[in-house]
Amino acid sequence: MSDAQTKGQLASAISSEVMIEINQMNKWYGAFHVLKDINLTVHKGERIVICGPSGSGKSTLIRCINALEEHQEGDIIVDGFKLGKNLKNLDHIRTEVGMVFQNFNLFPHLTILENLTLGPVWVRKMNKADAIETAMKYLERVKIPEQADKYPGQLSGGQQQRVAIARSLCMSPKIMLFDEPTSALDPEMIKEVLDVMVDLADTGMTMIVVTHEMGFAKTIADEVVFMDEGDIVERNNPDAFFGNPEHERTQKFLSQIL
Amino acid sequence: MAIIKAEKTPDRSAPVSETSVMGWLHKNLFSSAFNTLLTLFTLYIIYLTASGVYGWGLRDATFAAENRRECYDYSLTGACWAGVIDWLDNIFYGRYPREEIWRINFGGLLLALWMAPLWMGRVKGKVLVGVTVVVFYPFLAGYLFSGGDKGFFMQVMVTGAIVAFAINMANMITGLTKNMGLNAFIIQMLEQGKAPDKTQRNILLLLLAIAFAAAFVWQVNWTVEGVSWTKWGGLFLTLVISGIGIASALPGGIILALGRRSKLPIVRVLSTGFIEVFRSVPLITVLFMATTMFPLFMPEGFVLNKLVQVIIAVILFNACYMAETVRAGLQAIPKGQFEGAHTIGLGYWGTMGLIIMPQALKHMIPNIVGSFIGLLKDTTLVSIIGLFDILGMLRSISKDVPWLGLHKEPLVFGAILFFIICFSMSKYSRHLEVKLSAGHKH
Ligand SMILES: Nc1ncnc2c1ncn2[C@@H]1O[C@H](COP(=O)(O)OP(=O)(O)OP(=O)(O)O)[C@@H](O)[C@H]1O
Ligand SMILES: [Mg+2]
Repeated sequence: MSDAQTKGQLASAISSEVMIEINQMNKWYGAFHVLKDINLTVHKGERIVICGPSGSGKSTLIRCINALEEHQEGDIIVDGFKLGKNLKNLDHIRTEVGMVFQNFNLFPHLTILENLTLGPVWVRKMNKADAIETAMKYLERVKIPEQADKYPGQLSGGQQQRVAIARSLCMSPKIMLFDEPTSALDPEMIKEVLDVMVDLADTGMTMIVVTHEMGFAKTIADEVVFMDEGDIVERNNPDAFFGNPEHERTQKFLSQIL
Repeated sequence: MAIIKAEKTPDRSAPVSETSVMGWLHKNLFSSAFNTLLTLFTLYIIYLTASGVYGWGLRDATFAAENRRECYDYSLTGACWAGVIDWLDNIFYGRYPREEIWRINFGGLLLALWMAPLWMGRVKGKVLVGVTVVVFYPFLAGYLFSGGDKGFFMQVMVTGAIVAFAINMANMITGLTKNMGLNAFIIQMLEQGKAPDKTQRNILLLLLAIAFAAAFVWQVNWTVEGVSWTKWGGLFLTLVISGIGIASALPGGIILALGRRSKLPIVRVLSTGFIEVFRSVPLITVLFMATTMFPLFMPEGFVLNKLVQVIIAVILFNACYMAETVRAGLQAIPKGQFEGAHTIGLGYWGTMGLIIMPQALKHMIPNIVGSFIGLLKDTTLVSIIGLFDILGMLRSISKDVPWLGLHKEPLVFGAILFFIICFSMSKYSRHLEVKLSAGHKH
């Protein structure tokens, strides 16, 4: 277990600079109202955990933040750039926001090293040698440098997810989004991924994590956000959230999963 | 629970039926009275066919004769291969002037050399080899085959082809002997390895410009005699038409398939309409339209030769079929791949070119090769509109006075030729598939 996790709550490094600002945001899938009047502010270095029942719109919310989905009403401002039809802003957000998915989404036709260097070389225009150096640095950090020349299909789920994290980090993003990064993993692999994420949190990265790992949430979260049926129902620090949930929907949810 | 078995069970050898030839025969061919009967019957049919073919095609056949009568004098029941042999040059090259045939062979040799690096593991820059062969080779070959005066554009393209070919060969040699790309080799020879990237690039560009200028000056005085396209024919013409079709069907198909999936409604509707129209009309109709209707839409006095019209028709037709193959391949790629590409900041073309297409093309190889084989065979339809491709040539043998009425042998020969070409293509695609899927697991 990593040092940070044994110590309990991580030191927090929140600055006053706003990284993500969401104002009165609404989203529909066809006629279905998925996200309702969402307001959320995330500061630099802040670590937010989002939880809530299945279908409550957690994935949709974080996918809106990096423009994988379009929203119809309200504003989303990421790193000072407003999301919308402006393609330049979209390009900026694509490169500055990293995302890790439930099922990894590594590129199966490329080796691990190629997976990691593709973005830096083609998008950041880094030269190849530097990109490889960076990639190896992050592979060390997620503790699998020896797998560099293998293909994703030859790695275990936990290793693939750590590669996916490293792949995002190679782009040196300002924000990292995680959508249930451990829920496709076998129990014995969950910890290796969570450890990597705790280390990352320790470096002061701005993170939004959708997860049902409540122990993990208590360790890293500055704030826990609870969503239900497209609403943000409650937002609180982890101690208060888990110790003393205010809304009855939150109480019901917590009683089901804890 | 109690112990069931204290000792490990030793391996025993498999039953005879699994390992011996007799066992195999018994199990697969003679397992019951009915199966035995079926086996014997099949063997009998095979015997009848094989002995018939052998008797007609080899035992009683004539290989040397002046005309069909002599064949009959030798044997009434055997094949008269003498006619085919007499016409071999025509079958392969059509009516191309005999003393100029070297140009066709030379063109074929150039193509083989140009593409050879694609099969060599140690040579670098394979994508560039593939692109240059598609972009430049057709012009060099086109000039080699048709000759005559070169326009300015043709001069530039021929020069480009010569330079590209020379670089390609040099790159192949440094790759094979030194295991490095030509650019790295030149930089090393000039001892500029430590120089900044920009200087290195400028040196290479300068050398490229010099090579281009030299080749341009040289090619001005290089001319070959003009040969009208009406003299082209035989297997050569078939390969020219299908080769151009194959080389352009894939890029065309990719563009159309992407257009069909485009977010822009106009692009999508146009691509879809185009694809559906061409796919619902038989090739022969498209060919007739191209040669009879197309000129009607052209401005007065604008005459395209028939060969060009046919080639355009073949390209469009096959691009539309290829588009559907490509679309199917694209649909097999999970959405997560697009999202993964999005999160590392790749835009549309980066995503398509680096992530989606390489994976999709691999799934599509069997279908692509299948279409190529179909294309090669379909090309014989041009004989119906009066081009003397290989089929046209084979059929004219029976109208040649010494070989009047000789139908069977030329067609059998053509069938064998097509079988050899198409079967090797399909074997090669199997090999590619196995090789690519061995590279990594999904
Ligand atoms: N592409 C889509 N088209 C239509 N409806 C969708 C689409 N994607 C999601 N939905 C619906 O939107 C709602 C919210 O989905 P979302 O994936 O955000 O939920 P979630 O909170 O992440 O749930 P889970 O915990 O199961 O991942 C669900 O009811 C889902 O059915
Ligand atoms: Mg989800």
